[in-house]
Amino acid sequence: MEGSLTRKRRVTREFTLGALVAAYIVFLGLTTGFGSTSGLFSMMLDVSPTIVGAIALSLIIFTGNIDISAGTILGFVGFVAAVLAKAGLPIVVWLPAGLLTGMLLAGLNGWLSVTFRVPTIVVTLAMNMVHIGFYVTFLPNAGWVLNLSDSFTALGQGRFFGLVPYIFVIAVAVAALFIWIVKYTRFGKALYAVGGNRQASIYAGINPDRTVLVAFLVEGLLLGVAGILKATTANRLMPSVFQGREMIFIAAAVVGGVNIMGGSGKLLGAVFGALLVYLLSITMIYLGFQDYFQFALQGIIILIAVFITVTDFGPARKLLGKAFRRG
Amino acid sequence: MRDTGVMSDSTLGRSTLRVRVTYQAALGLLLVALIIFFGLIQPVFFHPSVLFDATSIVGEIGIMALAMTFIITTGGIDLSVGYILQLSAIVFGVVLQDTGSLALAIAAALAAGACCGFINGFIISRTKIPPLVTTLATMNLFRGISFIIAGINSYTGFPEGFKKISTYLVLGVVPIQFFYFIVLFIFFHLVYARGRLGRDLKGIGFNENVLIFSGIKTKQVLLSIYTLCGLMCGIAALIYLGRLSSAKTSMGNDLNLQVITAVVLGGTSIMGGVGSVIGTFIGVLIIGVLRKGFTLIDFSGNIFNFTLGLILIVALIVFALLEERKKNAGRTNIQ
Repeated sequence: MEGSLTRKRRVTREFTLGALVAAYIVFLGLTTGFGSTSGLFSMMLDVSPTIVGAIALSLIIFTGNIDISAGTILGFVGFVAAVLAKAGLPIVVWLPAGLLTGMLLAGLNGWLSVTFRVPTIVVTLAMNMVHIGFYVTFLPNAGWVLNLSDSFTALGQGRFFGLVPYIFVIAVAVAALFIWIVKYTRFGKALYAVGGNRQASIYAGINPDRTVLVAFLVEGLLLGVAGILKATTANRLMPSVFQGREMIFIAAAVVGGVNIMGGSGKLLGAVFGALLVYLLSITMIYLGFQDYFQFALQGIIILIAVFITVTDFGPARKLLGKAFRRG
Repeated sequence: MRDTGVMSDSTLGRSTLRVRVTYQAALGLLLVALIIFFGLIQPVFFHPSVLFDATSIVGEIGIMALAMTFIITTGGIDLSVGYILQLSAIVFGVVLQDTGSLALAIAAALAAGACCGFINGFIISRTKIPPLVTTLATMNLFRGISFIIAGINSYTGFPEGFKKISTYLVLGVVPIQFFYFIVLFIFFHLVYARGRLGRDLKGIGFNENVLIFSGIKTKQVLLSIYTLCGLMCGIAALIYLGRLSSAKTSMGNDLNLQVITAVVLGGTSIMGGVGSVIGTFIGVLIIGVLRKGFTLIDFSGNIFNFTLGLILIVALIVFALLEERKKNAGRTNIQ
């Protein structure tokens, strides 16, 4: 469906989104206190886990699947890392343990879906409840870990030149790596192929089940990264704060032009989408809206973005003539 | 939407039917087994007033699950049911507080529910956005709107006469909402099993294109069932409010999972095309018994949700194994 003819337009779209985000930041910086060192620092701090999470969800969405349990997986990742760090273990233990937790939980989602041919939406919706129920019921103090040591938060609170957080650099590096992987490796192509046309991907020699399973494992790894980036920014951890993060990730991905039906979209778009979603929510706060407006905002963002991606504006384009014609 | 699930010959249909009948019998046995299980742990569970109380709990879930059965049969899903209920309840509370008119408040709550359902149905039937994504987004939208209306307030002080609609006990033991549920169940079952709409729904679930080419206005069918689901959420909200006697912004949490679990447990395929309202009926009762049982043995709501999530996954797996769907039958994962 997405041939070479449309390729030029896609590059332009990501560029346009990037320019919009840049202009937004400049505008916000000029009109509010956002442009100060602390404003920019907190933006980079907050947006880093979202960037990684949006990339994780994008990989899944490329294959035509979705993960509603991403938020609660982050909670588990944070919990495992925090508990191990609290026990005095070094970073070489709790970091891989956290990443592994993410891979296991996401891999379980993928495995259940692939093996039993159940849509991922239902599996992950059920898993979402299982996760929440699990950590409220079975984990000590509902999974709260308080008074974490400085060695745990060193990663999340450290910054280069007093401005750029370590975790932002990590997030950008992860983003760059995955943009490269998706663009140039066989795995990346397979993701699009499976999501675009499953039957055709089989004829092309791709094993769709394996691709989806691997995509979930990679997603889990990335969620592990996102969970640790988020967890290390504070010296206490409450898994419940991660609930519902998946909505932000999905919003970021679809705003960035990732097609929710699978098969098309770009990770660079998802990265800019993450920035845009963050900027919108911060603007709401500057405008004095309460927290709970975010729910409605996320819903509307997703609907509008998906509508634009999915809808064919054929009749409208004909009406408006060349001005609206793409490519 | 879906281009799979071809029923190539009649034997397939018959065998599916047989599997389903056996499955529902098994489900009924599971229900009885659960009642006996909880009764053995807590003998008070066998007492009629306690046992029938399990049906009062499911009044609201059951009514939403009936409509959800229709939606899932078409291969769709509605994740927003819980928050449609919440929004309807909040609208009821606000209107009752501001106008003092009960009739107006009830009408407003039902209208709010139907309106939310209409929004879902309109987006799903008129655009190419899949039901899952639409309702995932509107779920947050409705939740946000109910927060915006109510903030952290809760609305109480409903008239006693209103509370009667879901606290009245028929013959002193059977909660009245069980009768609402049964009446609606019979209606939904007849429409589903005998009516033209039911046939259209299954057709849409199997292969929407065939129905379109047969001249059936599938868009209108979809629009009407999502609106119906919204209306049912409005009715469920009223019944829920009569029992809870306060409208607040946490009412809708986790309800969608319970509703979907009841439907899937009842044997309606999540891929669409096949289903059973009777199965949903038993599924709802099982959830009611579980919840009552868990309350009796002092388990928290979180363990209930945890178990429910597991049950949903197990039910899905059992179905996958039962149906032995053909490998790579061009399935679309995201719906």
